[in-house]
Amino acid sequence: MPGFLQPTTLEEAFALLDGKGETRFLAGGTDLLVLLRLGAISCDNVMDVKRIPELSTLRLTDETLEIGAAWTCNQILAAPEVGSEYAPLRQASAALANSLLRNRATLVGNICNASPGGDMLPACLVLEGSVVAASSRGERTIALKDFFTGVKKNVLKPDEIVLRTVFPRTQGRGTYLKKKRIHGHDLAQVSVAGFYADDGHLRLALGAVAITPLLLDFGVIPAAELPARRTEIIEAVAAAAKPITDVRASREYRLAMGRLFTERIIDGLIDGSLGLAEDRPCTTPAREAVTA
Amino acid sequence: MNTRPIHLTVNNQGYEVLVPEDATLLELLREEIGLTGTKEGCGAGECGACTVILNGKPVNSCLVMALECEGASVRTIEGENADGELSDLQKAFIEHNAFQCGFCTPGMIMSARALLDTNPDPTHDEIKEAMEGNLCRCTGYEAIIAAIEAVGGIQK
Amino acid sequence: MTTATTATLANKEHRYIGKPVKRHDGFEKVTGQAQYAGDIKLSGMLYAKMKTSPHAHARILSIDASRARALPGVRSVITGEHGTAKVGIYMQDKSVIATDYVRYAGEVVAAVAADTLRIAEQAIELIEVEYEPLPALLDVCEAAAEGAPLIHPDLGSYAHSEGVFFPEPGTNIANHTRIRRGNMEAGFAEADIILENTFSQKQVFHVPLETHVTIVQWALDDQIKIWCSGQSPFSVRDLFAIGFEIDRNKIEVNIPFVGGGFGGKAGIHLEPLVGLLSRAAGGRPVKLVPTREEECATLPCRQGQFARIKTGCKKDGTIVAEAVEILWDAGAYADYGVNIGRASSTSACGPYYIPNVCIDAKTVYTNKLFGTAYRGFGHPECFFAIERQRDLMARELGMDPTDFRLKNMLYPGLTTVTGELVTENTGRPDKCLKSAARMIDLHTPYTEAEKAEMRLSGKYRAKAACVLQKAPAMPTWSASSALVQMNEDGSVRISVSGVDYGQGTYTVLQQIVAERLNLPIEKVNINRSVNTTLSPYDWQTVASRMTVICGMAVADAADDLKRQTLEIAAIALRASVHEIALGEGYVYVMQNPHLRVGFDKLAIGYVYENGNAIGGPLIGRGRAIAQGLSNLDPETGQGKAAIDWTYGAHAVELEVDTNTGDIEVLQFANCLDVGQVMNEQLLRGQTVGGILQGIGCALSEAVNYNDQGKMITNNFTDYKIPTFKDMPGEIKLDVVQTPQLDGPYGARGAGEHPLISVTAVIANALANATGAQFHDLPLSATRVHAKLEELREGQVNEIAEGMENFEPTACTA
Repeated sequence: MPGFLQPTTLEEAFALLDGKGETRFLAGGTDLLVLLRLGAISCDNVMDVKRIPELSTLRLTDETLEIGAAWTCNQILAAPEVGSEYAPLRQASAALANSLLRNRATLVGNICNASPGGDMLPACLVLEGSVVAASSRGERTIALKDFFTGVKKNVLKPDEIVLRTVFPRTQGRGTYLKKKRIHGHDLAQVSVAGFYADDGHLRLALGAVAITPLLLDFGVIPAAELPARRTEIIEAVAAAAKPITDVRASREYRLAMGRLFTERIIDGLIDGSLGLAEDRPCTTPAREAVTA
Repeated sequence: MNTRPIHLTVNNQGYEVLVPEDATLLELLREEIGLTGTKEGCGAGECGACTVILNGKPVNSCLVMALECEGASVRTIEGENADGELSDLQKAFIEHNAFQCGFCTPGMIMSARALLDTNPDPTHDEIKEAMEGNLCRCTGYEAIIAAIEAVGGIQK
Repeated sequence: MTTATTATLANKEHRYIGKPVKRHDGFEKVTGQAQYAGDIKLSGMLYAKMKTSPHAHARILSIDASRARALPGVRSVITGEHGTAKVGIYMQDKSVIATDYVRYAGEVVAAVAADTLRIAEQAIELIEVEYEPLPALLDVCEAAAEGAPLIHPDLGSYAHSEGVFFPEPGTNIANHTRIRRGNMEAGFAEADIILENTFSQKQVFHVPLETHVTIVQWALDDQIKIWCSGQSPFSVRDLFAIGFEIDRNKIEVNIPFVGGGFGGKAGIHLEPLVGLLSRAAGGRPVKLVPTREEECATLPCRQGQFARIKTGCKKDGTIVAEAVEILWDAGAYADYGVNIGRASSTSACGPYYIPNVCIDAKTVYTNKLFGTAYRGFGHPECFFAIERQRDLMARELGMDPTDFRLKNMLYPGLTTVTGELVTENTGRPDKCLKSAARMIDLHTPYTEAEKAEMRLSGKYRAKAACVLQKAPAMPTWSASSALVQMNEDGSVRISVSGVDYGQGTYTVLQQIVAERLNLPIEKVNINRSVNTTLSPYDWQTVASRMTVICGMAVADAADDLKRQTLEIAAIALRASVHEIALGEGYVYVMQNPHLRVGFDKLAIGYVYENGNAIGGPLIGRGRAIAQGLSNLDPETGQGKAAIDWTYGAHAVELEVDTNTGDIEVLQFANCLDVGQVMNEQLLRGQTVGGILQGIGCALSEAVNYNDQGKMITNNFTDYKIPTFKDMPGEIKLDVVQTPQLDGPYGARGAGEHPLISVTAVIANALANATGAQFHDLPLSATRVHAKLEELREGQVNEIAEGMENFEPTACTA
């Protein structure tokens, strides 16, 4: 039976982590408590990190959008700082689980859980997200493209606390598409995020098609060249996907839907329909918000 | 077994309770405080039967650790008719036959209450969006939506 | 309900029947005060946990529970050596706890009761079980095949209802029911077209939101008290008594509020296991609350089904012969399951007249979770097969499927497959079908513009309609009884042992008594929690039999109370009984209405001014039994199978996204011949709920296992039931009211029927939309998409899964 730790400062957290055995971090708990209950994981301590002020900050600077580890999906959806240029992030936040769970589920928790089908992962990857992790040895920034190492595995050290997710300020059009078994709450059978920056940089990312989320960086493709390179892009995505058959979908279905969603994103970029609905210039000035 | 004290407010009543360190909020409410209106349907946040309002937000109490709730304010089904008579929502649930076995009903009402607190006159789709995490096997949901819509209409 | 029926519902003759009376249990349920078994805490109560088998089939070599017993706080541990008693309702094939073998992954091999749940959980981890894994039979066709390894080598020695069930020792067939009519050879010889198809369906879960919570106190002298989330208090008492050879009088079963059943809480479940834990703990009460994962993997589900149907038709659409062979995938045990095969056989050809019929239903053991009663009791599965077959045959004939159905329908004057005469009062599936079709404009074709839009979007719409039927499936002797007692103030209280776990039974019973006694409904109370020591006998709360049989018992009790009331009132009023009548809460002299005496003056005895008293407390008693049922002939299945048939029909319009395989139910229409609507709001609640449960079965629900027979859908993450977002666009309901002559006020049961044929009508509409002919379920997007891909590539294989393993019997020859 794990003990319960609830530090109110980072220093206290680091001290509590020192020599106390294995500690799991509790943000929203929507994955952790399920896994603990099932006995799928065990640990000596659970550390509730939500009372550490550094984790409760959302900050929009001239260069970055920073979302503290305690921010839930619903809080992200309600935050004016997360503008339409971050459409994949907003749409993934709205697609994760259900509204009830999104009151608890956090962006960082979803990232750290590192499930191949985690909704936030493809969205964060196409937006060039990274996480800032801290330990008593200091802070480091880890690009999410280098973060995931396997099913429910990541590069974090046991004593590292993720403070926030960081995205560069950006302009562009993007989306997050999720296929599931029912209209209601379900994990993704397959998901595709796409972001086409105004400078022509195209990134696509897929969930639930490999042991880790899959990022495809196509570099800069001028808009005029998109139609000609449509097939090449789609085939590249299809070739990279290596899904399995499980209780949610067959391998073939995942491949087919991964392809279909990729087509929809590329076609939406070509015909201009993607991003138009929410298209508005980012006028949000740099500012800071703290969770209530 | 390690237990620790916790102080919190449930339905505007203050409590100081000793709980096992790994207890959930659901367990705290049902086993320690004795408010058994809140139900457990799955223990994994998939069914919403354990929905309570924690600091103004509806949550699955099976996925909240009790000790997280130090100083928190919790509202449960037992607080819904605190004034000594049924709330508008409770009356509407009866009027519209919005329950059968009743096991999901406390969670349904708390989710609906949280919705109405922030959106007094929700649309059909807004109700579905807010209530999606609450499963009911008996009613087919139709009557539940009708009950919530009716309260929205009254509040308007 | 649509406006079309409003006039028929507003029956002026009745004060409460068919009137909008609100549920009796609303206050408790909306306030959270309703007490379910899990909410009960008793002094000295211990908490139980089960240890279950990880193997689908294995021999238990040894169990070492010594470390668990030594753990502080553990009060009792039981294993197979304590629980060799076999308990079962129709076929006693299931030990309370696994003894030498485990036959499914999830079967209980040990259990612990401890001071806290945490200690019990720790203790379970300390129990070591050594198994010798055996090959697992997971496919029902393989299990039914000759020479298959035996899952129950002792089948021949199992006690069962003799003359009702027919096990075949030396095979895996726990029961073989046969129905024979006419001459199959001659029938098929008459046919111009013969169509043979197979259909298969996996197991599904009931998904009550409350699991099978059980508390038992087995004290000294075998004084046993049970509190459980069950549908059948007297069956629990009866089967417990039989299993352990204990007097009925020593066992008391309490049923508090129940959080959903859907058939899964009929019969007996964890009560014997928890009882053994309590006895071993010196009689302290023990509580077992199955987790959702345990509910899925250890408590029973709906059976799977594999069906082969061969139908012979004339060119004009007349069905001349039909052979149906069904293999029911019982899972590891068939204690309840054998009756599903038997009972649903009587409906296996649907509400059609077919002169030559041969039906074989075999209940087959496999090494999977065992099946039990589920809303519709085999009919949802049978009607998927038969109503798919009807559409497939209509397609062969080039006939409109509705016309084809109407041409062959069971009309008054014809007989059912078991030889029962259909009369003017039996019910009218034809009227239901026409109504359902009308509600969705079944025969209005899509415009060219709509079709063009479908082609453009790849989202194809289509409609379909089909019929359904079911009668209560129960022993010939199944009965209900009721008490209606008058309170001191002239109000009354009803006692029954049927359980209202949400379907609304108690409200309907209140309506019947209020109607009978001419009392305001507020003055008619009903006991909320059943107790077998205090409440009168009832067989089980199943089979949509409550409104009809318990309703008749309650009406009988109300009439008895009325008779007694009049008898005492006549004396008090110095009149003859034929000169007095019931007013609202009083009795009056018809010729002199001002001469009256209130119920309150009669309830516990009438007292004269001088103190003389007469009468005494007024207690009405009533009873009803399934009148006229007979066992079916072992060879031909002929006999009286049903007391009342409820017929009905569904129609649906759906949209199939051929890009993704997703199915969207746009509108769903249902019409049932309920005889008499007792309470329109409750009926709509049952119907809408049943339809959505059926949509779940059609689109997303199936129990799945890995190659070793370990369940991989044992939680709500992997097993998806419909949510708020999965409702159909619109649900339209209608009723036909052909009175049932012996039903209360003409009513029939309607609890299960909305779920029957939902899967069929959706699969038929899917076929109409896309040409994809599905013979199995669920119609998940993954599977629909794969089938559409095959269609696009011209590789459709019409043969359903498992057919290659299927050995036809001599039946079809």
